[in-house]
Amino acid sequence: MKANMITIAELKQKIAEIKSQLEADLIQNLAKEELRIKFLAKKGLFNELAKIISQVKPSDKKETGQLLNEVKTEITESIEKSTKSSSDSKNKWVDLTAPGIKPKTGHMHPVSQAMEEITQIFERIGFSRSRYPEVDWDWYVFESLNMPKNHPARDEWETFFIDAPTDKKMGKVVLTTHTSNGQVREMERLESKPPIRMINIARCYRRQQDATHTQMFHQFEGLVIDKGINIQNLKGTLDYFAEQFYGPGTKSRIRPFHFQFTEPSLEVDFSCHICHGTGFLDDKTETPEDQRQKCKFCKSGWHEVGGAGMVHPNVLKAGGFNPDIYTGFAFGWGVERTYTLKEGLNIDDIRLLYSGDLRFLEQF
Amino acid sequence: MNILIPHKWLLEHLDTKATEAEIQKYVSLCGPSVERIYQIEGESVYDMEITTNRVDSMSVRGIAREAAVILEQFDVRAKLIPSKIIRNVKIDVSPSQMLPLPKINNDPKLSKRLICVVLSGVKRNETPDWMAKRLKQTGQNVHDAVIDITNYITHELGHPCHAFDYDKLMKTGGEINVVEAKKGEYFSTLDGETFTTVGGEVVFKNGLDQIIDLPSIKGTANTSIDDSTKNVLLLLESIMAEKVRFASMTHAIRTIAAQLMEKNVDPNLAEDVLLRGIELYKELTDAKVASKIYDQFPGKKAPNTVEVTLTRINEYLGIDITMEKVVSILKQLECRVKVENLKTADSNKKTAGANKAAGANKVAGAKNANDLITVYPPTFRPDIEIPADVIEEVARIYGYHNFPSVLMDTPIPTHRQKGVDFTIENRIKRHLSSIGLQEIYSYSMVSEEIALKTDSLENHLKLNNPLTDDRVYMRLSLIPSLEEILDQNPQTPELSVFEIANVYPVVKDSLPNEKLHFSIVSTLPYREVRGIIESLMLKLFVENFNIDIALGSENENIGVITATNSTEKIPVVLGAIKVQDNGRTVAEMEFAKLLSVVKTHPKYQPIPKTAYMVEDMTFTLEPKTLVGDLMTTILKLSPMVTDVKLKNQYNENFSFTITYHDDAKNISAEDVEPIRKQVAQVLNSIYKAKLVGEV
Repeated sequence: MKANMITIAELKQKIAEIKSQLEADLIQNLAKEELRIKFLAKKGLFNELAKIISQVKPSDKKETGQLLNEVKTEITESIEKSTKSSSDSKNKWVDLTAPGIKPKTGHMHPVSQAMEEITQIFERIGFSRSRYPEVDWDWYVFESLNMPKNHPARDEWETFFIDAPTDKKMGKVVLTTHTSNGQVREMERLESKPPIRMINIARCYRRQQDATHTQMFHQFEGLVIDKGINIQNLKGTLDYFAEQFYGPGTKSRIRPFHFQFTEPSLEVDFSCHICHGTGFLDDKTETPEDQRQKCKFCKSGWHEVGGAGMVHPNVLKAGGFNPDIYTGFAFGWGVERTYTLKEGLNIDDIRLLYSGDLRFLEQF
Repeated sequence: MNILIPHKWLLEHLDTKATEAEIQKYVSLCGPSVERIYQIEGESVYDMEITTNRVDSMSVRGIAREAAVILEQFDVRAKLIPSKIIRNVKIDVSPSQMLPLPKINNDPKLSKRLICVVLSGVKRNETPDWMAKRLKQTGQNVHDAVIDITNYITHELGHPCHAFDYDKLMKTGGEINVVEAKKGEYFSTLDGETFTTVGGEVVFKNGLDQIIDLPSIKGTANTSIDDSTKNVLLLLESIMAEKVRFASMTHAIRTIAAQLMEKNVDPNLAEDVLLRGIELYKELTDAKVASKIYDQFPGKKAPNTVEVTLTRINEYLGIDITMEKVVSILKQLECRVKVENLKTADSNKKTAGANKAAGANKVAGAKNANDLITVYPPTFRPDIEIPADVIEEVARIYGYHNFPSVLMDTPIPTHRQKGVDFTIENRIKRHLSSIGLQEIYSYSMVSEEIALKTDSLENHLKLNNPLTDDRVYMRLSLIPSLEEILDQNPQTPELSVFEIANVYPVVKDSLPNEKLHFSIVSTLPYREVRGIIESLMLKLFVENFNIDIALGSENENIGVITATNSTEKIPVVLGAIKVQDNGRTVAEMEFAKLLSVVKTHPKYQPIPKTAYMVEDMTFTLEPKTLVGDLMTTILKLSPMVTDVKLKNQYNENFSFTITYHDDAKNISAEDVEPIRKQVAQVLNSIYKAKLVGEV
């Protein structure tokens, strides 16, 4: 017998393989047309198998022919019946423990996810989102916000300056250190007419880099101006956001602070979800405080998220509003900071957000 | 800036039984934030953040003053302990042992005050334990008493002071001239560092025109205390804040003194600090007062006057607070307050409240004689200048936590910004990320090397003061940044990323023409990347999306992306797509252009009532045949051809699936046959395409 000759037993084995392949495909409910192409087309599995006939012993040819005919009939019938049998396949066994086959999906960046959520929350209470330059004049970033040149308050903004000529009126060109450059710009866009309820989310830049700061980051800025806007409205807006973003029961708190462009100025805190605003991880309220287990995630029960305040009269004036008639409030916080305080998120180094490391990004 | 306040030191100025935790909680709610309580040297020390406008709180006594007012609001008894400073200082030496004061020539434009005294016979005693402990608790170095007293009293009372070596000062003429430095003068600070002036720094000079102090910032070596010092001139000056800031920033000498003085420390405080200093020098160094106190105070100012109406206060606060309460709060803060008639004001206010409830549109801030409050803040509160400042004081002491939380009932704006569409941005992000792409946020600033990949350096905006070498130029394209991301993720060989972010083309004498770009970079084959973009365009209902080979480009692998403007129906170039030599496909589009072709909804096509006929045709094509063009040719051959798809490709053989349809009737094989023949013939004549098999 020649080495490449095929015995009847081997042929039967191959036939069985094709049949089980067909069975598997039927379970998967492949379309009839697809099955026909796969099994019966010119280059289909059956024709490939049929080529074997040249490799069998002459004495086996007849039996081979019979076997091939049988299997072809069987395949054809199975395929023809396939629609019926699939709708009728109540009794076909499916392994429910087998792992799923996932379609390929990608990931929206966590900062985009946060920005989308923030936008939606504020839109529900009548804010609309605007966008203003990231490279802007000193006038919009500082001067019009009641921050004259060389003012010590400017130290807090580690500003990047652009190598460009200084404009007599507008000053230097800077990378925006905060989204507050949108305040006077929004007032100008609306021709100094109320109502203003803006949310401005944008890239900002400061000259600092560590685990909690990146040279580039994002802020969202709220600005509301109209007659009769007061501190209660600011508080109402903050509370609404806190509950929507962090979940029911989250409290917000405002404390005195100082910004040149707001008066009164406020620092905004949200209650810590780990210790629920208490600052302690145990509930032994009777125990002296220095013996209790302190929450390491927050500062004494609260997280500072950013600044807020009533718009300074000079800023209203810079935007063409009469501060004797109109009042307003503004707030501006880091998107990253606000987002990373979400319960259980656990990001301890915000530089990861801009690292482009897929092992990080694919988790979102 | 932050300040460390030891609890026990605080209690020397504040009479209270409040616990550390109560002080932290309550003071933070209404005043400076107590960020943490440390245990240092076995005692509690508050770490407090003081805002730049409240330099009056940058001292133990300043905090005690704030805490006394605030704690009382929470019904915790607290009182500022009256100052025990001895006011009538006697000269301790006989007239013959008295030392002459230096000759002082102040310039009132440069220094608001200058106060000093000569103390003789100082002993270089060790700093006593109690003082050393407090200096350590507040993060300061311990030297000996003569030096440490100045730091101690600055921290306690908040006005910097300086101890000169009296004899060094007198040896070089005994003059103190307060002047602005010229450019190119030299001075060495007490720690031995030498500086050259740029001109305009306020300095003390002696009669020999030598700089002998950088006042309100740092002492100079030629007049500073050293081992041989026997007599001290204790001096406080009040250099103009902006001058202090200028010199301190210019030379990067950021001492505590400079950081305080650049924020307008109250010059009235100087006398108390001097007197307290005299007390401690006598007590701790056996010093004797050897001169009269010299005090020149040309900058003495009447306190600010701020007028505000109760109506205005309540408009800002949104609550009805009584005149009585307002006055009480302001008085506790040591403001003098003048109100025409307390009771009338409160009853008027009630009427105003009723009007408000009735929807009356009153003019904000309208002055009503009965409603007017005139406030005279204490000299240490120069930050209270305008009505809003008074309102802030009332609001914070009343307690923000006591305010209700109410959303606005004012009209909602309807004028949306033009040129932005955040909904479309999000739709794109959602679509691409759900079909397998990763969204990236990369830095807007890039390195020189990356910038050069897009354009010459002159065409980029450059940072004057970059923090790191890899972030210097404002980018003109997102592609190099995205390619970098691919390089950094070798563990994911099959990767498609995208970003929507700004680029910053330079515009002469103006802001850059900042515009949003949308880019995709992928390791997938071109057809798959194009498929991704096509699927996105379908989602955005873009019409006539197409990619043509860029004309005039030497590189055949660059394509121009076009589509039809959704309103004007004219073709728009959206951007370009390219297959790089490294095999990656990159595409970049201008977002504004993309916005001009997207639609929010499709135009519905009626569902056909007649049947389709679908056929495959396979052609053998010459190398570099443009399959896209060929398919367009098929499509345009007959109105009955409604769709052409590339089914598959094997070597030079391309199979197309052609759909035939006629709205009017069910087409038959006879209808299709002539078209099919025409296809074969036309493709053969235009593209030399050979049909595989027979027509």
